[in-house]
Amino acid sequence: MRKYWTRLAVAAAVATTVAGCGLAGGGDTSSQSGAGASAAVTGEIKGKVSLQTWALKPKFTAYMQGVIDSFQRKYPGVQVTWLDQPGDGYSDKVLSQAAGGSLPDVVNLPPDFALPLVKQGMLLDVATADPALTQDYVSGGTDAYRFPGHSGAYGYPWYLNTDVDYWNADLLTKYGLDPGKPPATLDELIAQAKVFKEKSGGQVYLMSRKPGLGDLANAGVKIMSEDGRSFTFNTPQAAALLDRYRDAYRQGLLPKDVLTDKYAGNAKLFNAGTVAWTTAGGNYITTLATDNPTLAPKVVPSPAMGTPPLYVQGLSVAKSSKNLPASLALARWVTNAENQAAFAHLTSIFPSTKASANDPFFSKSDGTNAGSAKVIAFNSLATAAILQPVQVDGAMSDIVNQQIALAISGGASSNKALDDAVARCNQLLKN
Amino acid sequence: MTHRRWFAPWLLIAPALVWLLVFTVWPSVNTVILSFTNARPLGGGRFVGLENFHRALNDGQLAEALLNSVIYMLVCLPLLTLLPLLMALLVQKRLPGITFFRTAFYTPVVASAVVVALIWGWVLDDRGLVNGLAQRFALLSGPLPFLTDRWLLLLSAIGLTVWKGLGYYMVIYLSALGNVGRELHEAAAVDGAGSFRRFLHVTLPGVRNTMLLVSVLISVSALRVFSELYILSDGTGGPGGRDMSVVMLIQMYSRGFTGHLGYASALSLLLFVVTVGPLLLLLRLDRKAA
Repeated sequence: MRKYWTRLAVAAAVATTVAGCGLAGGGDTSSQSGAGASAAVTGEIKGKVSLQTWALKPKFTAYMQGVIDSFQRKYPGVQVTWLDQPGDGYSDKVLSQAAGGSLPDVVNLPPDFALPLVKQGMLLDVATADPALTQDYVSGGTDAYRFPGHSGAYGYPWYLNTDVDYWNADLLTKYGLDPGKPPATLDELIAQAKVFKEKSGGQVYLMSRKPGLGDLANAGVKIMSEDGRSFTFNTPQAAALLDRYRDAYRQGLLPKDVLTDKYAGNAKLFNAGTVAWTTAGGNYITTLATDNPTLAPKVVPSPAMGTPPLYVQGLSVAKSSKNLPASLALARWVTNAENQAAFAHLTSIFPSTKASANDPFFSKSDGTNAGSAKVIAFNSLATAAILQPVQVDGAMSDIVNQQIALAISGGASSNKALDDAVARCNQLLKN
Repeated sequence: MTHRRWFAPWLLIAPALVWLLVFTVWPSVNTVILSFTNARPLGGGRFVGLENFHRALNDGQLAEALLNSVIYMLVCLPLLTLLPLLMALLVQKRLPGITFFRTAFYTPVVASAVVVALIWGWVLDDRGLVNGLAQRFALLSGPLPFLTDRWLLLLSAIGLTVWKGLGYYMVIYLSALGNVGRELHEAAAVDGAGSFRRFLHVTLPGVRNTMLLVSVLISVSALRVFSELYILSDGTGGPGGRDMSVVMLIQMYSRGFTGHLGYASALSLLLFVVTVGPLLLLLRLDRKAA
């Protein structure tokens, strides 16, 4: 009897172990081309539905509650449960919800968060479920939720943003540069950085960040193959760009710490007045007015060099939702033109709806530098694009940054660093 | 009548056993299993045989990380074995104000490793205290790349570990020194032994077991170093990731939605094997010495 129980316990432990590690199934469904709905979702809009947002409380509690209340008024049979998750650890939260099968019905996911869930067939193809999707939203927004190898779109685009260049007018003037004509190309940037270094004696910098995949894309380098199955950024063009940065680094045009500093370091140095250029979102000056009120009025915005990056937030619908009609209606309601425009009036984000394209609130400046930055950002959205493919995960991003830093420091040739980065990223993509 | 219940002892140890199984045995077994799969946080989990280990053995970055970890251990081991002993000998004396020094030496241990590493980062960066003072007094023409040079960054992290660990191991030695018989020192002194000879022939044999324990602790923690290198390099592992430790590599591969859990598990197992090596060596040396 004792042996029987022992054997049973061992068998149970082995079974649990094997199942727990995922060997029992649940494989990647990336090969499936239609992981979403197979037809338009119709049905009565009623019942309970959950909505998860990302760090909107407490600043936008009133706005969101107003949107939800108006939805419930329009559909009296619906009861919305709103969950707002803190800013830090959001990806871990969504990951645990997805792994535990408890994704909310409607969930705020940027495209790079959505892709792994799409691969597992966890999100609804809203393009099929809601054929009117493309009529109301700008193509850049909906395209952000279309992924190679997966037909359809997996999120309603919500709000958009992009980068604007910001210049410290005081520093530019002090060191002989014209704040009215800030650099518009890399050539001009490097040329002005030289002047800046000579006149400041190397005390302050114009350039203070190393390039990333976005810069390579801007230089005309194709980052990935069309099918999204391999990286292709180890080109002579990319190597030439890194060589230019390496030369600039050797000449002392960039701070030494730029090799390990992350992107945020650029804005940090700008806030401290030790560099004269940074890139940030359209609302940067408004934030700066709190962090460094004396610097904020001296900042001059200009359009980002090359193609501006497009940042997209969207609402996806869980395929496992037990109330798809209400979930779709809620996602569409939150992201409709009226609600998005109201949201964008509260903070410097931009609607993804076509109806807002002619809204003078976004296209006309109030005369302040913050207003000009908003208009520049809004106008930039017309040409903005997602420069870094969503397939680039955390490990790949680290590897690319490490190899770019190595090339700029002179520790390896640009060609070798790019070849290594591509080889390792491809291996991660394959596995 | 005696009624024997075979399960009574099991019932008594059940809470501890369940804890051990859930939080120690199960994660360890799971790591071994995952290392043979292509598991991701969502999905994956297909058996891939020895592919992860084959990949690891051909991974140049892992080789560099292992080299960093071994250098870390080889430098930290003698420094953190001997310096705390000498400090313990100094603060063991009952002198006025000695409590202040004991407290001062122990303070870095109390401070959070992350906070300490951040402070060191500010001290050592291009415009930090060290470079600023050195340039102010014309000792350097330009800043030393403490945080961007492959070897200087590693040495800076080692310096931080040693500085932070001195107090901890000093306290362990203080307790061991309390057990070294005073009469042995007195007898040696009567026989004409000076301070140095008493240290060699009385103190060192008296704390030999503690030195072994300290060596084991240092070896394991040096091979598993993470916070110091991570914070000083701002999470990047330095240019080219050449200053990564094995734990940093594991963290890099395992995090996020698309973490490569299978490969990270294989790296964990390799680190375990590497960590066990010095332990066995130290235990063997101890047995021989005994």
